[in-house]
Amino acid sequence: MDSGTTPTTPKRVLCIEDEHFISELYARALTKAGYQVDVQLDGQKGLAVAQTDVYDIILLDLMIPNITGIEVLRTLRDPRQTPKMHAKIIITTNLEQREDVRADIEQQADGYLVKAEITPRELVEFLSHLDA
Amino acid sequence: MGYLQSFIRQFRARLFLIILINNALIVADWYIVDQVVKLTGLWALLAISAMPLITLGVIPWLSTNILVQPTKFLWQAILHIAPHTTNDVGAPKLEQLHLGRELVTNLINQVYQLASVVQGVEQSNASPSQDLHTNFVASSLPLPLLVLDKAETIVYANESTSKYLGKPAEELIGQNAYTALDMSFRSDDTLASWLKTSKGKVVTANHKWERVRIGLPGQGDSLLFDLAGYYNRDNPLGYETLLILFDHTEVYAQDDQAMSFVALSVHELRTPLTLLRGYIEVFDEELGPTLNPELKAFMKKMDASAQQLAAFVDNILNVAKIEDNQLTLQLHEENWPNVIETVVRDLSLRAGVRGITIKTDIAADLPPVGVDRYSIYEVLANLLDNAIKYSNGTDEIYVSARLNKEGLVETSVKDFGLGIDGSILPHIFDKFYRNHRNRAQIGGTGLGLYLSKAIVNAHGGQIMVSSKVSEGSTFTFTVLPFTQLADAGKAGATPSVTRNAHGWIKNHSLYRD
Repeated sequence: MDSGTTPTTPKRVLCIEDEHFISELYARALTKAGYQVDVQLDGQKGLAVAQTDVYDIILLDLMIPNITGIEVLRTLRDPRQTPKMHAKIIITTNLEQREDVRADIEQQADGYLVKAEITPRELVEFLSHLDA
Repeated sequence: MGYLQSFIRQFRARLFLIILINNALIVADWYIVDQVVKLTGLWALLAISAMPLITLGVIPWLSTNILVQPTKFLWQAILHIAPHTTNDVGAPKLEQLHLGRELVTNLINQVYQLASVVQGVEQSNASPSQDLHTNFVASSLPLPLLVLDKAETIVYANESTSKYLGKPAEELIGQNAYTALDMSFRSDDTLASWLKTSKGKVVTANHKWERVRIGLPGQGDSLLFDLAGYYNRDNPLGYETLLILFDHTEVYAQDDQAMSFVALSVHELRTPLTLLRGYIEVFDEELGPTLNPELKAFMKKMDASAQQLAAFVDNILNVAKIEDNQLTLQLHEENWPNVIETVVRDLSLRAGVRGITIKTDIAADLPPVGVDRYSIYEVLANLLDNAIKYSNGTDEIYVSARLNKEGLVETSVKDFGLGIDGSILPHIFDKFYRNHRNRAQIGGTGLGLYLSKAIVNAHGGQIMVSSKVSEGSTFTFTVLPFTQLADAGKAGATPSVTRNAHGWIKNHSLYRD
């Protein structure tokens, strides 16, 4: 939650993304920018890690194995199921939604990015503006 | 009438008899005192004064037992059927009645008849279903109709309900609406929340929900309905809430299928694109400084191509959405110069690799506009992309924006390239229209302008073109200042307006303007 006022502790990012090459690219760019990145390729495991570990930012794909990203988002946003949730949740997806569904998701998340429309550098830039 | 006359005759006869008996008693009294016992003096006075005592005792006794009897039976009958009487009054025993039996029997029968009518009315009020069952419209309505009472219990379900929900309507009656029907709404706007806000605040209210999934607990299948609700507080018949269900399962399934094919294709195209753009960026950043100018230019071209492909994928998706009436715009108040500059910056790479500079000339007095940022971005990007493609070796493109005479914000993209022949100008906004003369040289799908027109129109604006062969083309489109849009959409003070390609949308249900 501390918005980069203590540069000595790097911000932790959890990337829940089953496309290995994409998570690799994102992790590479984010690590270079000073973030500490964990990657989870599986939705169920990603959710478990997000609930137990403390992250500043969670990048969440919507089409992930074993559980949908929407389900993960809902669980993380439900205070009964995830009582301590401090991370900003950014949806990173290439999946096209009905507009109203997207609006619903956007309301629950802190950001919604279409992966094909941004490069890893643009992602880093987006994250740097998150709590500014 | 015969009953009444014979009753009066009987009554008169009995009254006459009673008076006769009374008089006879008096005479007998006097006779006994005077002739038989032969009392005189004080004794005679005492014996004669017994007369009125006898009269006082005998007449009321005879009267009540004979003359009042019919009335008594009538009262007994009324008390017998009267509701809320604590003492148990039995039915009158008519065989014990001697005076005016016909009349009283008749009257008592009428009392009982009247009572049964009243009871029937009361019962039909208590269970509205009886009344509705007889209502032809409700029962023959080909749509499921449910009626809920104050406690949200189902008090009526018509025939169609059984057909659609696979359970006899009678089984639903008496159950709580939420437990009997497994309703899942798309958002927080649910039946329960609507009723909660309506109750106690309004007398009547209407509401509509789309894509409500309804299943019966314990049954696997569920259907997609549009649901219309009508609320009527303190309805005297107890029908507080009326629900009508419109089965749109097939319609929505078709929509979903068509969209899911496009959506899936788009997803599959976007994944490699994401990677392509990611790797190009890595190479550009880390390898760029070591490359010779030619390779550096190749890198830029590769990047520009990947971007173009990404834009094309978005175009396909949007065309599919327009065709499907699924393009919905969230029109927000935006700073127009900012929007233009974003697009110009993003397209500069593509222009740059062809040696083209994009110049802007934006009027300083532009009001905030009402646009959907994502969609209007695509319009500008498409127009700029075309200008780049058709520049034909010229090296400048102008983007200008100003407030026109009608008070609309007018934006133009001007190139100095090939230009368009007058004969084909009227068709360039058609879907898949390509100019056959340059089809071979210039790539494209013929979707860009079609899409741009649809998006601009959906914004309430217009798109125009003027062109001269070999001199270039100018595409101009208008968007509305936000204040004007808010008026047109009757959006009032709301910060945004939702529209689709075919009209206004409010509260996620479609209203055509």
